Amino acid sequence: MSIRIVLADDHPLTRVGIRDYLLKEADFELVGEASDGIEAGELIESKRPDVALLDIRMPGESGVSLARKIRSSVPGTAVMMLTSYDAQQYVLSSLRAGAKGFVLKTATPEELARAIRIVASGGLYLDSEVSRAMEGPAFSPENLSAREREVLLEAARGLSSKEIAGKLYISERTVQTHLGSIYDKLGAKNKTEAMLLALKYGVVSLEELLE
Amino acid sequence: MKRHLLILLTVAILVPSFAALVIGGAGMIQHKKAIEVVAQSYVKDLAQNVAGQIESGWEMGRGFARLERMMRVHRMNFDFSMPGWVAVVDSGGRLLVSTPGADILANLWRRELPVGTAVDIKSSEGEWFTLAAYPAGETGWFVIAAVSWNDLLGPMLAFNRWPLFVGITGFLGLLSVYALWRWLVSPLRSLESEVSVLKWGREVPEEDDPRAVFELRRLRQVLYQLALSAVERAKLMRRYVSDLVQVQEDERSRLAREIHDGPLQDVTALIQQLRLAASELQSGDPGTRLQFAEEGAVQAVRELRALCDELSPPWLDLGIEQALHELAGRLSRHLGLSVEVEAEGDLSLSRDVVLAFFRVVQEAVHNSARHGQAESVTIRLFREENSVALEITDTGKGFEGKVDVEALRVSGHRGLANMSERMSLVGGTLDIRSVPGGGTTIRCLVPTTSAFAGNDRPRRP
Repeated sequence: MSIRIVLADDHPLTRVGIRDYLLKEADFELVGEASDGIEAGELIESKRPDVALLDIRMPGESGVSLARKIRSSVPGTAVMMLTSYDAQQYVLSSLRAGAKGFVLKTATPEELARAIRIVASGGLYLDSEVSRAMEGPAFSPENLSAREREVLLEAARGLSSKEIAGKLYISERTVQTHLGSIYDKLGAKNKTEAMLLALKYGVVSLEELLE
Repeated sequence: MKRHLLILLTVAILVPSFAALVIGGAGMIQHKKAIEVVAQSYVKDLAQNVAGQIESGWEMGRGFARLERMMRVHRMNFDFSMPGWVAVVDSGGRLLVSTPGADILANLWRRELPVGTAVDIKSSEGEWFTLAAYPAGETGWFVIAAVSWNDLLGPMLAFNRWPLFVGITGFLGLLSVYALWRWLVSPLRSLESEVSVLKWGREVPEEDDPRAVFELRRLRQVLYQLALSAVERAKLMRRYVSDLVQVQEDERSRLAREIHDGPLQDVTALIQQLRLAASELQSGDPGTRLQFAEEGAVQAVRELRALCDELSPPWLDLGIEQALHELAGRLSRHLGLSVEVEAEGDLSLSRDVVLAFFRVVQEAVHNSARHGQAESVTIRLFREENSVALEITDTGKGFEGKVDVEALRVSGHRGLANMSERMSLVGGTLDIRSVPGGGTTIRCLVPTTSAFAGNDRPRRP
């Protein structure tokens, strides 16, 4: 059973590169290519692929807003963002829009293939370059305590430390301590990175984090 | 002591008036005294003279007839020129002969009054007279001569309500002082206080003050015109600066777009081709040259992205909240300090304001790290009643005193001046507070009217 893929990217050269990456894998079937957001939307609606690889910045419609549409119109298609830009906020925006994966165009063919397989099987994939723990690949995260998980989830919803303190009936200082410990455990430098790393390590699920 | 205008005017008005009053008063008192002396000798001489004439006439046997004739002469004199009265009374006080109107003398004269000298007497009506009586020889009659002070001293001296005079003078003086206060000093003061706090180039004073004297009104109008032209000039200057900033930002974002869509993609494609080439090599060994090429290209991609970030990061389009989080993450990685963001959601700020906030935060966090040696910075973005507030607070060492943005600019430290300029270009303000050892807070306020999307000025094509 092959994985059916649609590729949308407005840069012909990188599109060619990605296409050649995909063709190397025997179980991948590239069912369509698009060079702008609108064309990609139509293609996905008609072909209903397993995975849609979308560039974020595309003429016509951006990958993020396209992902939001696909989530409701073609729920069977897993969207994976493919971008040349490593902004963590792109990752979060994409995930909030319903994307299941985020890969940089500079990813190796192997990483791209692994990502597509994970996403196609219902998993979540985040590029190592945008959610890189400071300690390197050998780093293994400690488990978060129940309280820390709670604090992280509230922070992910955009609450400030003060608001979290009020909601959980603890002091602001305690919230800061929890956040510090979360950063330490995940190897993150800030809230966004902590969220991404928690997702990546499966410490929290996408649904928990973004709802 | 300060020489206040009002004090000077008061002194200038009241001192001469009262001086004139005092000098005039002293002169009149002198005059009155002299007149009194004259009156006394006059009535004495008159009485003595008439008495002498009666005496000598009596001796010559001319008797009453001469007396009558003499009185006629006096009568004529008195009628026309001489003030006062002369009368001859017998020892019982009855008037024998008199000049017209001398009836009053019968009332005034009493037998007990000293004879041969002048006395001052007050009539029952309160009028003052100087009176002298002389015995007329052997006849047993008395010659009485008198003058009325009212007739003699004249209206000025007769006017004895001196306190009223002083009062009226004082009142008129105060009235003039009040008029000067109202039309001169007070408008001058209000002009001064208005101009002293006037933000030159931003505000204008009132154009007219109807209370003021003409010269002050003119002065005010001139100041108004000057302030108006300064405002115009400042407006032009701001527009010029704003255009410069706009052009610069447009150019930056154009360059960033060019890099993103051009070289960044090309090098990415290059990396892909290198990897594909390596994987297709028969030997299975990618070879060091290909590996070096790939590493170099990956490095180039990172540098190109960093360059885009430097110029105008594409993720600014995500909105202010995401942009602040992204910037905070990058600054914290780059500068090695903790940067926390607490941003109120759903603030769809206009692109100009997003850009202005972005640049301010960039500069402020760099300053916190470089000059404040801060370990953590908190960025707060929230809505206030009529504005959107951005606060950047650090835990750095802070500094003493007030920040003079212009002085810093002149001395080459353009960072703060640029931040403040950025805010004023989007209609906002920037305020810096710092306590030595207590960190620094930069607070930006942009009024709601210019903060939100939809208020964007038309973009350049």
